[in-house]
Amino acid sequence: MAVARLSTGLDLERAGIWLLLATAVAASALTIPEFRDPANLANILRQSSVLGILAIGQTFVIAVGMIDLSVGMIAGLVVVLACWILGGDPELTLVAVALMLALGSAIGLLNGLLVNRLKLHPLILTFAMLSVLQGVIFTITDRSVGRASPTLQAIANGSLLGFPLSAILLLAVLALFHVVFSHSRFGYHLIAVGGNAEGARRAGVDVKRVRLACFVISGFLAALAGLLLAGRLGTGYPLAGSGLELDAIVAVVLGGTALAGGRGSVLRSVGGVIALTIISNVLNLLEVSAFVQLFVKGLIVIVAIIVNQPPRERP
Amino acid sequence: MTLLAAPREEAALAFLSRYAIFIVLVLVFGLALAVSDAFLKPAYLGNVTRQIAPVGIAAIGVTFVMILGGVDLSVGAVISLTAVLCAVQMDGEVANIAPAILAACAAGAAIGAANGLVVAFTRVSPFILTLGMGIAVAGLTQIYSGGTARGIVAPGFREFFNHRIGGVLPVLAVAFLALAALGLVVQRLTVFGRQLFLIGSNRRAALLSGTPLAGVTILAYALSGLFGALAGIALLARSGVSNTLSGQGLEFQVLAAVVLGGTTFEGGRGGIGGTVAGVLVLVIAFNLVNISGLPYHMQLVVMGAVIILASAVYGQIGNRSE
Repeated sequence: MAVARLSTGLDLERAGIWLLLATAVAASALTIPEFRDPANLANILRQSSVLGILAIGQTFVIAVGMIDLSVGMIAGLVVVLACWILGGDPELTLVAVALMLALGSAIGLLNGLLVNRLKLHPLILTFAMLSVLQGVIFTITDRSVGRASPTLQAIANGSLLGFPLSAILLLAVLALFHVVFSHSRFGYHLIAVGGNAEGARRAGVDVKRVRLACFVISGFLAALAGLLLAGRLGTGYPLAGSGLELDAIVAVVLGGTALAGGRGSVLRSVGGVIALTIISNVLNLLEVSAFVQLFVKGLIVIVAIIVNQPPRERP
Repeated sequence: MTLLAAPREEAALAFLSRYAIFIVLVLVFGLALAVSDAFLKPAYLGNVTRQIAPVGIAAIGVTFVMILGGVDLSVGAVISLTAVLCAVQMDGEVANIAPAILAACAAGAAIGAANGLVVAFTRVSPFILTLGMGIAVAGLTQIYSGGTARGIVAPGFREFFNHRIGGVLPVLAVAFLALAALGLVVQRLTVFGRQLFLIGSNRRAALLSGTPLAGVTILAYALSGLFGALAGIALLARSGVSNTLSGQGLEFQVLAAVVLGGTTFEGGRGGIGGTVAGVLVLVIAFNLVNISGLPYHMQLVVMGAVIILASAVYGQIGNRSE
């Protein structure tokens, strides 16, 4: 094994994102003094937390061989609904949080049930769900509504001993789901289903249940990310979740998780999120326009997937 | 399964799967008639077709790519870019109309060819690749336009495309139908069209029988880019105003129409005829939402529900006829 690993040289799939991250941090820290400012570093962690939580959920879905395009709109719906409830009565924070997490899990459950029962391509199904949720959000409101409660805002923007609370939340979620993904029976089943669904079924794995669980995790974490986003924004902005699903997928791909499923790591996905945030932070510090940033982001996606191609099939 | 299934039932299923969208179209149209007799007025129908022309034209190109087993999510961004490019190049001068249209088409085809090159010579997922290309092209559009509406269409440009032939049929609607006919000819009567189906249904057989995989792939994506550009020009002609975000999100309507029309992500099935019917079902469903007085944004909910239902039906038919 060790010899085989050595002979393949550098394993880009596993090491690529850490190399990219180390290079990005080192290059920015050496050349841009503002980057080294602790306030800026805390800001990067704070900005990474929403997308990081989304990317963890997306890693589960992608590794099991599916994809979930609805997460951005789940987060957006949660932002609007949570602020709407809390705008009426800030005392309801706990109730609202519980309700929103249940709502996200329920949408994930619905995604999973429809994929299993109707045998739909997950891309089509979750895209259709994206469209439905977007319609629901805009039917509720086309302008910002309500207000996030002080508690949510404190979690999203506050610090503990100089360390952002939202980053602590991200770390806690990361630790928990890393164990589930890489060190639990469910995690092994999920990799087996993603790698070879038929093989996993014959080995006695309940394929449908594993897929269902992954969609529920994705929906739950999307709702959690939405709550954090509501705290950051402070108000129920209906467009808050737009495009987040793509950023999450880009981060997962950057982290070397194969879109075909059967491989992946939540740690590397969060590494991908932090790398993306650092790149955007540096471009901001260098006063590069948002338009050029958009272009650069597209190029990063294209280069990342070309560098990180699936292995060539043996004829 | 195939051996056991009665041939007659199999033939019926094949018929259903081939013509399902046309049956759905008739049903949706019947429903529309029941709700409002406006759908009997030729002028209204012409207007509905004009309204959906940009999505329809782009869907023709995407159908080629999807028959091949690929997908193109960059069309929305291509539509935005080419609409702005065309308006800026036109700059309010009649003499500039032809060069502006040519420039837009060249840009669209070049972006499509770039997609095709990467798909043909690497093993990346076309879904993520074209998504990334869409983001990059959207960035380019903003850089090019400075983020604001730029360019002025030449006098007569908008008027020509919105002119109603005989007071009924807008030129834009005719252009959509003509391009669909052209696409149908390419799909059915050319070697390229047959090669698309071969590659989509059995890539390995295509490779072994000497089909030029790379060439066909690049051409299909380039055509998708070209039709995206034509859709951008159609959008500019419809509104007369260039907007840097005009095509944003249209790729999803395009994808919905193509999938509704029976062309699957797996490739090898479907075609332009189904896509045109899918486009019409989508626009009738949108108009039904408006007419029935539901909030405008319920269109998105209806679109999502229609996509789920249609794909589920195709899934069931596909599973049984295999």
